[in-house]
Amino acid sequence: MQETFLLPLIIALPLLGFVLLGLFGKRLGEPAAGWLASLLVLGSFLLGLVLLLQGGARWALPDWLPGIPFSLHLDNLSGVMLMVVTGVGFLIHVWAIGYMHGDPGYSRFFSYFNLFIAAMLVLILGDSLPVVFIGWEGVGLASYLLIGFWYHERINVDSARKAFIVNRIGDLGFLLAMGLLWSMFGTLSISELVEKVEAGGYSFTTLTLAGFFLLVGAMGKSAQVPLMVWLPDAMAGPTPVSALIHAATMVTAGVYLLVRHAFMLHDDAYLSGLIVLIGLLTAFYGALCSLGQWDIKRIVAYTTLSQLGFMFVAVGVGAYWVAIFHIVTHAFFKALMFMTSGSVIHALGGEQDVRKMGGMRKYLPATHLHGLIATFASGGLVPLAGFWSKDAILAYSFEYGPWLWFLMLLASVLAALYSIRWYVLVFWGEYRGKEHPHESPAVMLWPNHILMVGAIGVGFMGLPYVIDYKNFIEPFLTKAIGEFPHEKLPVFTEWVLILTSALVAIAALWWGFRFFQQKMPAWYERFQAAALQGFYVDALYNALLVNPAKGLAELLFGGDKGILAGFAGLGNLMGGLGSLLARLETGALRFYLAGFVLALVLLVGWGVLR
Amino acid sequence: MIHLGLWLPLLAGLLLFIVPSLGRTFAIVSAAVSLAIAVVLFAGYGGQGVAYASQTPFLPEVGVYYAVGLDGVGLLLWMAVSLVVLLGVWVAEVPVRFLALALMMQTGLLGIFAAQDLVFFYAFFEATLIPALLMLWFYGGPERLRAIYIFALFTLVGSLPMLASIFAVRYLGGAESFLYTDLVAHPLSGQAAALAFLGFLVALAVKTPLFPLHAWLPSFHQQNHPSGLADAMGTLYKVGVFALFKWAIPLMPEGFKEWQGLLLFLAAFGALYAAWLAFSAPDWKTLLAYAGVSHMGVAALGLFSGNMEGTVGALYLLGASMVYGSAMFLFVGLVYKRTGSLDVLPARGLARHTPALYVLGMFLLMAMIGLPGLSGFPGELMALLGAYQVSPWLTFLAFLAVIAAAAYALTAFQKLFQETPQAQAVPDMDRREWGFAAVTVGVLLLMGLYPKLFTVYLEPLGKALAALFGGAS
Repeated sequence: MQETFLLPLIIALPLLGFVLLGLFGKRLGEPAAGWLASLLVLGSFLLGLVLLLQGGARWALPDWLPGIPFSLHLDNLSGVMLMVVTGVGFLIHVWAIGYMHGDPGYSRFFSYFNLFIAAMLVLILGDSLPVVFIGWEGVGLASYLLIGFWYHERINVDSARKAFIVNRIGDLGFLLAMGLLWSMFGTLSISELVEKVEAGGYSFTTLTLAGFFLLVGAMGKSAQVPLMVWLPDAMAGPTPVSALIHAATMVTAGVYLLVRHAFMLHDDAYLSGLIVLIGLLTAFYGALCSLGQWDIKRIVAYTTLSQLGFMFVAVGVGAYWVAIFHIVTHAFFKALMFMTSGSVIHALGGEQDVRKMGGMRKYLPATHLHGLIATFASGGLVPLAGFWSKDAILAYSFEYGPWLWFLMLLASVLAALYSIRWYVLVFWGEYRGKEHPHESPAVMLWPNHILMVGAIGVGFMGLPYVIDYKNFIEPFLTKAIGEFPHEKLPVFTEWVLILTSALVAIAALWWGFRFFQQKMPAWYERFQAAALQGFYVDALYNALLVNPAKGLAELLFGGDKGILAGFAGLGNLMGGLGSLLARLETGALRFYLAGFVLALVLLVGWGVLR
Repeated sequence: MIHLGLWLPLLAGLLLFIVPSLGRTFAIVSAAVSLAIAVVLFAGYGGQGVAYASQTPFLPEVGVYYAVGLDGVGLLLWMAVSLVVLLGVWVAEVPVRFLALALMMQTGLLGIFAAQDLVFFYAFFEATLIPALLMLWFYGGPERLRAIYIFALFTLVGSLPMLASIFAVRYLGGAESFLYTDLVAHPLSGQAAALAFLGFLVALAVKTPLFPLHAWLPSFHQQNHPSGLADAMGTLYKVGVFALFKWAIPLMPEGFKEWQGLLLFLAAFGALYAAWLAFSAPDWKTLLAYAGVSHMGVAALGLFSGNMEGTVGALYLLGASMVYGSAMFLFVGLVYKRTGSLDVLPARGLARHTPALYVLGMFLLMAMIGLPGLSGFPGELMALLGAYQVSPWLTFLAFLAVIAAAAYALTAFQKLFQETPQAQAVPDMDRREWGFAAVTVGVLLLMGLYPKLFTVYLEPLGKALAALFGGAS
C-alpha cells in the first residue's frame, strides 16, 4: 500500500471537468463538452485501475480538523466500487453525449455529471468519516441538481427538493453516528475504528446505536423503506441521471457504507436482523410497486428499489462480499435497462408511457437485444450476471434461516415478473403509439453493447463454490472487508438451492411473458391501481408528517412575534419602559396563543431533555 | 500595525462622511488596505497566545488600559470582518455616507475582537451600536422607527446588567485592573459568579443571538436597506459567541457551570426552532435572519459544551457564518436590484435570465446550509462532536435543523430562481458582481476544504477553555 498523491488526482480529474465545463462549457459546445467530461472519467478509471493493480494506495492530510485527518484509502473494496463508478460511469457519460444532443443545457449537464463522479469518488475513497460525508452530501447535491435539471418545470424541482430533504434525514443519522463514534473512540478514521472496535472495552449497546445511526444514513441514500419515497420521483431527471445516479452508483452508497462498517455489524444480531427486515420490506415494496407503473422510468426505478432491498438483505445476513458483488452485477444490468429505456424514449420523441409503446423489437433491433439481456439478467436467468449474485444472496439467506430463503425466493419471482413485464410492454406486441421510432446513434449503442456483455459475463467472477471454477471476487473483497467465519452449506443443499432458483426464475419469466401479453384480469387491475400510487405512502407521509410540519412552522412563526409581545408585556409590568414598549403590542390574540403554546413546548422539552 | 488596522477604518469613515465626494473608490481602498493589514497580521502570527499585544495606561487610577492584541480567534474574526466590509462596500449600491458608516462600524467590530481590557471591550461593544443604528435610521424602510426602538431597547437594556457585572468581576474578584490577564487570574466564584455571569449573558445573548433574545432580529433585518450592506454589518455584529468565549466563561467559569444546562437547552432548541419557522418566512431577509439564529444556536451549543471540539466548532462556525451570512445578505441585495422585491412568493424563475447569479445563489445557499466541503461544515461538525459528548439528546434536537434547513432554503430558492420563468428580462451579473462572486466563492471553498488554516490556531484556545472545566483534551 503506497502513499501517493495520485490518489487525490483520481478525484481531481472529474472535479476539474466540473469547474471547466461550468465556466467554459458553453464555449466548448457540442459534443466537445460531453467528450471532455467522458474522457476525464475514463482517466480516473485508468488511474484507479493502475493503483489498484499496484496493491492499493493511501493519502492523508493530517489534522485537517483537530484530530481528524483528511484521508483517502484505496483498497480492494473501494477499488471495486471505483471500477464500477468510473467504468459504468464512463459508458453512461458517452451514452449521454447522444441522449442529451440538442439540449440547451448540454454543457451544464456534463458539468453536473462530472461533479457527481467526483463526489462519488470522495465517498468511496474517504477513510475518515467526515471525508466520506463530504462525498455523501456531495452526491446528494449532484443528484439534486440533476433531478431538477430542467428547472422550469415545477414538478422536476419539487422532486429534486424532495430527494434532497429526505436524504438529509439520512444524513442526520450519519452526523449522529460521527458524534457517537467520536465520543466512544476519539477517532473517525475507519481504519482506526476497526482496531478500536476489535480491542473492545466499550458498551456493546452503544456500538449498536452507532451502527443504527449509520444504518439510518444508509437507508436515506439507498432509498430503503421507510425513506424510499424520493427515488421514484427522482425519475424527473434526464435518463442518463437515472441510470448513473439512481440505479448504478449513488443509491448503492448506503450498501457500501454498511459493508465498510461490517466490523461493527457482524457480531450484532439485532442490527443485522433489522437490516434484513428493512431489506425485505424494500425488496417487496419495490417489486410490487413496479408491477403497477405505466411510466417506463418509474417501472425501472421501483425495480431498483427492489434490488437495493436484496443488497440490504445480503448485508443483514452477513454476506458482505455478496452485497458488493450484487452492486457490481446490478450496475451493469440496471444501467443497461435504464439506457435501453432511454433509447426507447429517445426513439419515440420523449414518450414515457408504456401504454403508448409496444412492438419495439421490430423497430429497434439492437435496442431490443439490449432490453432482452437486461430483462434476463435482472430476472435472474441462469447463467447471466444477475443470477449468480442473486443466487449467492439466496444461499446466505438459507443459512440465516430457511424462511428467509423462501421469502427471498418469492421476491426473486417478483423480480422476474417485473423484468418481463417491462420487456413485454415495451418490446412485444404491436406498437400502440403514433411516432416513427428510429434506432439510436452509434454513440448510444456502443455503451449499451459493452454493458450488455457485462450483464452477461460479470457474474462469472463470483461462481458458487460447488461449481468447480475459481470464485475470484470473494477472496478479493474479504481481504478488505475482513473474514467473518460462516459455515458453508453442504454441497447437496447448495445444488438444490441453485437449481430451485434457476428453475423458478425460468418458470416465472415464462409465466410472466404469457401473462402480460393478455388483457389484465380484474384482480390485477385493482392491485395495479394501488401499486401505481406506491400504495399511498406519499399521501400518508403528507398527511402525517409534511403538512403538520408546515403547520407547525406557521404556528411558530406567529409565536415568534408573540415573544416580542411577551417582552413588551414584561416591560409593561416593569413600568418605566412600559409606555415605550407598549407600541410593540399588537394585541392579536393569535400571537399570545401561539406564544403560550411555544412556552408549553419549551417547558415540556426542557423537562424531557435535561 | 495593529493600531493602524484598528483605527484606519474609523478615520477613513469619518473623512468620507464629511467629504462624501471622495466617493466609493475611497471606501474600497480603505477596506482593501484594512484587509491587507489583516492578512499581514495573520501571516505574522506565531500560533500561540496573544500576538501584537500592546498596552497603555488610559485611566490607571481605576485600572483601565488601552490594551489590544490578537489571539487565534481574534485573527480569524478580524479577517472575516475585514473581508466582508470590503465585499460590502465593493458590491452594495448605496449612498456614499452609508459606506462611511460601514467603515466606522468596522473599527468598532475590530475593537471588540482586539480589546484586551474589559472596559475597552465594553466601549467598543457599545460604540458599534451607533453606526448600526444610524444606518437603520438614515437608510431603513418605512417602519424603521419601530425597528430602531426594538433594536435599541434590546441592546441597551441588555447591556446594563453587563456593565454592572463588569464592575462586579473586577472588584469582587479582586483583580488589579480591567486587563484580561488580570481578570482571568482572579475568576469569580460562588453565588456572585452565577449572578455576574447572568449579567453578561443577557447582553451577549442579545448579540448572539440566542433564543429567546433573538426577537429583535427579524424587524432589524426587514427594515434595513435592501442592498443588504447594513444586514451584512449586522451579521458581523453577532459577537455574542465570541464574547462569551473570550470574557464571560473564563472570568466566571463557576457562573457558567451554574447556567450550563439551561444554556445548552436554549441553544439547541433555538437552533431547531429558528430553522423550522424560517420555512414560513415571507421574505428573504426574514428567512436569513432566522437562518442566522439557527446557526448561532449550533455555534452556542458547541461553545456551551465546554470542551475543545465544541469550542473550536463554535468559533469556526462563527467566523464562517460571518462570511456566508453576510454574503447571503449582499446577494439578496443583488436580487432586489433586479426584482425590486424580496418576497419569497410569487415564483419568479429568474434563472433563465441570470444563470450566473443563479449559480452564485446556489453556491451561497449550500454554504449556508452546511454542505460539507464549504465553509459552514467544519464548524458544525466540530460543534456536533463537542456537544454529543455532553448531551446526545440536545445534539439530536439541534441537528434536526439540518433537515429543516434543507427545507426552508431550497423551497425559497426554488421560488426565486426556478419554476415558471419570469417574462421580464433582467441583466445577469456585471463585472463588479463577478468580482464579488469570485472572492466569496474562493474564500468559502478555502474555509470548507482547508479549515486547518485556522483551526490550528483555535485548537489551543479550545483546549484552554476545556482545561477550565477539567477536560483533558
